Amino acid sequence: MLSAITRAFRTPDLRKKLLFTLGIIALFRLGSVLPTPGVNSENVAKALEQAQAGDSGNIYGMVQLFSGGALLKLSVFALGIMPYITASIILQLLTVVIPRLEALKKEGQAGTAKITQYTRYLTIGLAVLQSTAFVALARSGQLFPNNNLPILLNDDIFTLVTMVITMTAGTSVIMWLGELVTDRGVGNGMSILIFTQVVAVFPSELMNIFRQSAFKFVVVMIVGIVMIAVVVFIEQAQRRIPVQYAKRMVGRRMYGGTSTYIPLKVNQAGIIPVIFASSLLYLPQLLVTIFGNSANPGPVIEWLAQNLVTGDHPVYMVTFFALILFFTYFYVSITFNPVEVADNMKKYGGFIPGIRPGRPTAEYLNYVLTRLTAAGAPYLGVISLIPILALAVAGASQNFPFGGTSILIMVGVGLDTVKQIESQLQQRNYEGFLR
Amino acid sequence: MIIGISIALILSSALMVLLVLLHKGKGGGLTDMFGGGFSSSFGGSAVVERNLDRLTIITGVVWFVCIIALGLLLKP
Repeated sequence: MLSAITRAFRTPDLRKKLLFTLGIIALFRLGSVLPTPGVNSENVAKALEQAQAGDSGNIYGMVQLFSGGALLKLSVFALGIMPYITASIILQLLTVVIPRLEALKKEGQAGTAKITQYTRYLTIGLAVLQSTAFVALARSGQLFPNNNLPILLNDDIFTLVTMVITMTAGTSVIMWLGELVTDRGVGNGMSILIFTQVVAVFPSELMNIFRQSAFKFVVVMIVGIVMIAVVVFIEQAQRRIPVQYAKRMVGRRMYGGTSTYIPLKVNQAGIIPVIFASSLLYLPQLLVTIFGNSANPGPVIEWLAQNLVTGDHPVYMVTFFALILFFTYFYVSITFNPVEVADNMKKYGGFIPGIRPGRPTAEYLNYVLTRLTAAGAPYLGVISLIPILALAVAGASQNFPFGGTSILIMVGVGLDTVKQIESQLQQRNYEGFLR
Repeated sequence: MIIGISIALILSSALMVLLVLLHKGKGGGLTDMFGGGFSSSFGGSAVVERNLDRLTIITGVVWFVCIIALGLLLKP
């Protein structure tokens, strides 16, 4: 393992890529702690301390997780990658609805590039909206409800506009950094940046627990390590469907005659269903914060406030679980199209032993995938409910460091990146990180 | 002084957004982001792209300096 790392650093082009990635990460973290001009950073620090001591339910859970604590500090990179993720989700959902986008997606490389470009424009739009919202929240003091220190230095309109524009530019810089890593570094840039933010809150959270009691710290560590092992195990699990290719002659050359397999992962959808579900469940909270302050909120808002805002309410948990199940199936059906795969196989003379090519193959693939997902979807649901359960049972803090989503992100991105490094290592010698 | 730097910051921010949007997106979608398929890295960048990179870096540095300067000036 260690020798593999030294070997990775001894390979010149890989070393360059690794160092480049690390440099970008350092820049990114620097921007995440640099306060936006106009923010009273001393008062923000005080307010943060109060919020932590008060243990008030964190309404910005998901956003906060993805920003690695940058959001509440109102730093230059406060919005983090969230606008980009939201934009990607929106476009992903729109491709199902709008025929033109679907046509673009089918076009292949050129069409995908166009969709990416749309995603980037939408990201900037969303960044303007979100930064305006946060600056407005900070100005009215709603960002920290139980704190009355002024967060902004002066709130004339000019300063506010400067802040909004700076944060928007920050988002675009993040987008660019991510693309640079994808282009010249190791792994997928955006996911590495998310990974950085998720891991960045670890030390302080762990220190918090350690300060509470050493015993709790040990328990949390053990639970975390066991959970990581479980997640790695299931993420790697796949069913291999054998595919036999017929021999055929093209001119004077022989092609095919090989047997390979289609890997179907147990959790084909990754963590995207969790992100979708969390984003959707963020809506009722938003509604409650907007309309809840009026004198007569009405029965709907009251019901929402009672059942869907606090994470440990049974209705919330059931809804969350059901949404994850739904989105897992939904996302798998978007990303893996059995008919297309079967058609491709038929075109190149491949078949699954014992099953006729064409429609029966598609039906078989669909059947296997549905059964696999029947195991994968509840797994996702349970893993992402663990932090909420821990909150209810043990009274751990809301940003319990080994929360389901963070572990899924860490393991997913980590495995992916290591695999990429390994494939680059293997160009030179065969032994890599994973055996 | 503060107003001057603020205006510089606004201008450089707007320029930054524009320049980043001019780049060809290499991000890939969500599927790419959380472990789906392989992202193929195709070819070196063209001359235009390289010049754009240089311009973006310069703007980025100016932007960064503006932020720090303004932050220090506004300190209570």
